[in-house]
Order: sequence, then structure tokens, then C-alpha cells
Amino acid sequence: MARYIVKSLLQMIPVLLLISLIVFILVRVTGDPVALMLPESASEADRVALTAALGLDKPLLVQYGIFLADALQGDFGTSFHYGQSSLPLVLERLPASFELAAAAMALAVLLAVPLGILSAVKRNTVLDLLISGVSVIGKAMPNFWMGIMLILLFSVYLGYFPVSGRGGFDHLILPAVTLGVGLAAQMTRLIRSSMLEILSQDYIRTARSKGLSELVVVGSHAFRNGLIPVVTILTLQFTSLIGGTLITETVFAWPGLGQLLVTSVNNHDMAIVQAAVFVIAIIVILGNLLTDIVYRLLDPRIKYS
Amino acid sequence: MKHNRLVKGSVLLLALLLVLAGCGNAANDTNNEGNTNSNANANAGQNDGAAQEGQERVLTIANPADIQSFDFHNNNTTVSESVLVNMYDYLIQRGADMELEPNLATSWERVDDTTWAFELRDDVTFHNGDPFTAADVKYTLERIATDEALKQHSLYNNIEEVTIIDDTHVEIHTINPDPILLNRLSRMGAGMLPSKYIEENGIDAFLAAPVGTGPYKYGSWAKDDRVELVKNDDYFGGEPQWDKVVFRAIPETSTRVSELLTGGVDIIANVPSTDIPRIDLSEGTSIVSSPIQRVLQVILRHTEGSPTADPKVREALDLAIDKQGIVDSIAGGAGTVTRTSVTPGNFGADPSLYEQTLYDADRAKQLMEEAGYSADNPAVVSLSAQSQYKEYAEVVAAMLTDAYFEVNLEILESSAFSEKLSSRTFGDLFMIGIGNSLFDASNNYNRFTVERNTGETDYDNSRVEELLQDALQNMDEASRTEQYQEVQQIFAEERPAVYLFQMEGIYGKRDAVNFDPRIDEMFYAEEITSAE
Repeated sequence: MARYIVKSLLQMIPVLLLISLIVFILVRVTGDPVALMLPESASEADRVALTAALGLDKPLLVQYGIFLADALQGDFGTSFHYGQSSLPLVLERLPASFELAAAAMALAVLLAVPLGILSAVKRNTVLDLLISGVSVIGKAMPNFWMGIMLILLFSVYLGYFPVSGRGGFDHLILPAVTLGVGLAAQMTRLIRSSMLEILSQDYIRTARSKGLSELVVVGSHAFRNGLIPVVTILTLQFTSLIGGTLITETVFAWPGLGQLLVTSVNNHDMAIVQAAVFVIAIIVILGNLLTDIVYRLLDPRIKYS
Repeated sequence: MKHNRLVKGSVLLLALLLVLAGCGNAANDTNNEGNTNSNANANAGQNDGAAQEGQERVLTIANPADIQSFDFHNNNTTVSESVLVNMYDYLIQRGADMELEPNLATSWERVDDTTWAFELRDDVTFHNGDPFTAADVKYTLERIATDEALKQHSLYNNIEEVTIIDDTHVEIHTINPDPILLNRLSRMGAGMLPSKYIEENGIDAFLAAPVGTGPYKYGSWAKDDRVELVKNDDYFGGEPQWDKVVFRAIPETSTRVSELLTGGVDIIANVPSTDIPRIDLSEGTSIVSSPIQRVLQVILRHTEGSPTADPKVREALDLAIDKQGIVDSIAGGAGTVTRTSVTPGNFGADPSLYEQTLYDADRAKQLMEEAGYSADNPAVVSLSAQSQYKEYAEVVAAMLTDAYFEVNLEILESSAFSEKLSSRTFGDLFMIGIGNSLFDASNNYNRFTVERNTGETDYDNSRVEELLQDALQNMDEASRTEQYQEVQQIFAEERPAVYLFQMEGIYGKRDAVNFDPRIDEMFYAEEITSAE
């Protein structure tokens, strides 16, 4: 296991190098930040001067070399928009993104696990149909619409929660529900189908024939194997939530990484885009590694070389 | 044994998620201690929105975006300036009526065409206790004049040097005569910075704990969330009225409106016309508006080969657009039609062209026929617009289609639009809202000088070029006004641009505050008072 982890970590290096090259090229071919930084009244001479001041007049290869050398020291450049070092700007967004992603995930798990199991155990009953129906609706509701509806109902009319912004626990509830409901719906469907497949297997019949209670059969024998696909979707979704919750972040004015990344792409703020993609890539790679480790804990038969 | 592994596997994940969520909250609670204005109001379901937080008097304003930086010279948005004017001061400031008034400078005079003398207040201190002196003026203005990487640099690079006479007297020397130096000194790039503090600690330390001379001091900044400013008890203008001023960044319009309705904020900016009735009809909230310095316009290419190179086509285009109809329908009545972009209050304005508009759809068709076009043979033109003006562009395109134009509409995101603007690669027409923070006609017309418009409109009139070039350095106000007024009359005839209307800033406010919006879109917290 330790060898596997070390090997996985070493494999990150070429992956990150490749990502750095792709991102570097993409942010430079998609636009010129100088146009966005100067006032409408700026002259051509002003543009030339600012381009030189930002180092954007150098050949691309030279710019990449400088970028790589600096990046190795943790310096991803200065944000054009904020005028500050980009990596700290990205890192300071992580707590907000983690907080929202974790809350949404926890909510999704708490909803999906019991509903998914119940749906599988009570297969083809009214309860199953009800859970499946609600899941489809939950998955189909766009985050944008749902966020606005939640605000209107729970903040404007009922006054239970604050409308937006990041503050105490009550600020977290509406955005977490907005994100978590869709995820819960998806996971409920996954757990249901996974459990159905397992419940029809021979070893479950054996367990039942031994006289074990249904609770032990479902809870211990079936659910554990049913968890493997759930863990996969959980970790994949969690890492994508870190950088990709823009719509929910925008609706709730939640200052997360997704909002920073999209604003920076719009502003052609190269330094932040580069730093953010790097940080997200590292989180995704580490997330995948964590998935593998959890697989191993759940199913000792899974071996890594 | 099996059970243990199961428990480990499942609990590990859940625990991880809950701990992450918990950690985030704990950390955030610490960071935002005391920052519970909207929270408290919303929880209590109160709609007083107001200034009371316990005994604290708090004013909360929601903008659609955040500031860019606390480096006043390295911002380029109106939103940034509207926040930072509460923390930093200019030598000269625009009052609520937009007249220039003494601020850090008590008096000034022009010594010669390139030299201006200023006398400074002697009772001003920065928030860190350093006295404000002539050295700070020299540092500030020479920094913005020489540092090409600063976003405001291009508007200040005519400043050559600042000479310190003594602690309260300076002379500003310009490279060329600059008739609008005072206008430059009363806007974003000229916010006075503390020279000693920055020179001793570096700009990064300054940005981590910025200080100015304004009525409010830096409190905290959670980027893309909120800026909190706190009262500066030592403000030279007397004790500020608010204990705390919070500027929230809420990009989504419906969320901003909901925050206002629930009392989470006191004032919101950029209310779309569709939300006006909702705010006006709700108890405790209302709409206030003011004309702003932005004029929505369509700029026309005069390049040979373009249909709009023909004066008849340009006139037809102008006559085909029902500007008042656009104001009444899309803008919800919030706008004033105009045939000039130099609106009242700006130096060089020609009042005879303001509140004037041309619209005659039949005559437009007739002109197009004279130019050789018809319903079967329309003039094919492209019209590019920023996504924020999408509805306006669509309506203009529809009106032009009725007058024998075939319009290829191109709606662009702001960054793509800015790039095309910068590279001068628009087609025949582009729609743009141009502001004017300098309050001077030069800001409207510099883009039409030959150097600037070659490749963009290719408009070429030697008389206009002569007038514009001369007015740039003309220190005589009367003749300079005449020069710009003549340019406006020529423009109304030759139409390098067709002006739609002067836009309005529409704000929602709670009844608990008195707020009169300003033409320059600034939020001076000292001008916003509690109604309770």
C-alpha cells in the first residue's frame, strides 16, 4: 500500500507538467489581458507599455520557462486583476469551497444512504416508486432555479435563513441544500441499483438461509459491497465540487474557488487561472488516491501493485 | 472483524466530510466575527435593514462586483472607486452637485500652462497616525505617473514631476499643458497614499493593512464577499456617522433584490427594470435613480466598402432607431435621449443637442432607397454588442431590419468585446456604453482622433482633428468649450456615432436610509444618512 501511494504521488509530476503546459498555452491563446486592464481612453502607446510591463511581449517559450521556474518555487505570478500573488489568492478560497462541498456531500450521504437502501429493499412498492420519483425530480431541478426558489421561500417569505454570503452555519444551509439535493438524488439511484444487484447474489441467499436477520443481511453483508460505487461517485463529485460550483456560488454570493476561477477566466487573469488549475489538479489526484485507499478498506480483496 | 472494516470505511468518509464542513465554519466564524448584520436581520425576519446592529450603526451596500484591490491606483472599475472613496481622499473632490471642491487641498492656482500650485490641509493624518504632507502628494502622483503596470497610469502620464515647496505646499508640473489636470486629481488614480508607510514596509504590507485619510478605515476584506470599513475617529472632516460600512459583492441580481427585501442590506446597485415594481411595491423599500455619466451609443464604421461609409445610410440608420421607444420599453423609462455623448455637467457640453432625438422610419427607408437599397436588396451590416446590452442590440437590429438593413448580430462576453475594441476588429457597427469619469468632453472624443480611430471607425475630418488636437492642450476654457461644441455639431451631422440615450443608475434602498444617488455612481457613506 505504501509503495502504491508513493508511486501514485510520483506519477503526479509528469501529469502536473503536462497540465501546466496545456493551461499555459490555453490562457495565452484565448485572449489578451491588457485590453481589459486599460481604461477606454488608453492609447496604443499605453498598450505597448503595459504589455511590456507585464512581460507579455517576450516569446512564448521564454514566458513558459519563466513561469515553470517560478512555479517550482510556488510562485504562479501576480494576478493582473488583484495585483497580488496568485497562489495565496487561490488558497484563501479553498476553505469556502471545502466547507460548501463537504456540507453538500454530508447532506447527500445522509439522505441517499437510507433512501437508497430502503428503495432497494422495498423494491417495486409504492415507497420505492415515491423515492425514485422524488430522486428524478431532485436531479432534474437546475441549481440556479432551485437556489433562487429556496431564497424566496426560506429567506424572503419565511425569514428562516440569511439570503446570501458566507458567515455562520445558517449561511451554509441553503447553498448546501441546493447542491446536496441533486447529489443525493444521483446517489440514491446509484445505491438502489447497486443494492438490488447485490441482494440477488448467492451469498446473500446463503446469509438469509443461515437465519440471519434482514437487518444484518442488508446492513452488514449487502450494504458494504454496495458502497464501492458510492465511494467512487462521492470522491469524484467532491473534487469536482471544489472547483465547479459556480452557479450555486454565484446565486448565494459564496466566495469560493469556482467563482474566482470563472471571474479570472473572464478577466484573462492568467496567473490565477494557472494557480487555480494546478491546485484543483492536485486535489483531484489526491482525491483519486483517497478513493483507492477507501476501496482497500472496504474490500480487502482489492490489491494494488 | 468484517463489521469493523465496514464501520471504518463508511465512518471515515462521513467524518471527513463533517469535519471539513465544521472546520470551514469554525474558521469562518472567527474571520467574520461581528459580521452578522444581514444574518441577524434575516433570522429575526425583520425588515428594518437598517443601521442598527446592537448599538452599532452599520450601513450595508450591495454592489454586483467586488473591488479589485486596495491599491487605489490599480483599479479600473466604477464599483471599486465607489467603495474606496470612503477610505482614501483626493486633493480635490466632486461634491454631490459634481462641482469641484477643496478636500485635502484647500486652494490651488495655475502658475503657468504646465505648473499648478496647491496648498494642503495641515490637520490630516493617515489611519496609521502618519501626518499627511506634501511628500505624500509627491509620492502618490509620481507613482501613478511613472508605474506603467498600474491600471490608472495612462490617465496620469502627463504629470512630469511634483515639487515640494514645504509640508503644505506643492507644485505639480505637467509635460504638456493639461486643461483637465484638476479633473484627473479628483478621481480614482489620484487617491492619496501614505508615502512613509509604503516606503518603509513595501506595497505588499500596505495592501495587507491599507491606510488612507478618509472617514472610514480598513476593517476586513473577504474577496468576492465583502469589504468592511470602520469609522475613523480622527477624520479631519469630523466624526463619521456610521460605525461600520459594509460593501457586499452579490453578482446575482435576484439575490441582491432578496437581500434588500429581507433587510440584509440597505442599498443595492444595478436594479434591472424588471425588478423595479417588486421593490417599489414592497413595504419598507423603494427605488431611487439618477442619470449617470454613461451614454449608450452605436459607433459606425466609415471605412470605404462598408455600407455605413455612405452618409445617407448613416442618416437612415439614425432615423430608423426609435430611441425614446427603447428608453420607455427596455430601460423602463430610465434614460434621457440625446444627440451628444457630452451630457450636462461635463465640460464642453452642447445643451442644444441634449434631450433631442431623431426618429422617422419613413424618411429612413426613403434615404436607404436613395442610397440604392431596398427590401430585396438590404444593406448588410454587422452589429457587435456586449452581452449586458443584448436586449438593446436586438431591438436596434429589429428596427434597422425594417429600414432595409440586414443585421448580423454578434453578442460578446465583456472580455471578448474588450479585446475586439482594443484590436479595432469590429465590423460595421458596435454598441457600447461609454462613461466619463473625467467629466470632460476630451474623454468622449479622444477615441475619434486619427491616431485612435484608424482601423476602428476610420472617421476622417480634418476640421474635427484640428479641433480635438488643439482642445487637448487649450488652457482657455471659453474657446475650448467652443471647440468641443463645434465638434458635437459636426458629429450630429456626420454621425461617426449614433447616440441612443444617457443611462440611469437605478438603486433599491430601504426606507431606513436616506440616499440620493450621484451622477458619478459613488457611494459616499457620509452623504447617506439614517432615516431613523
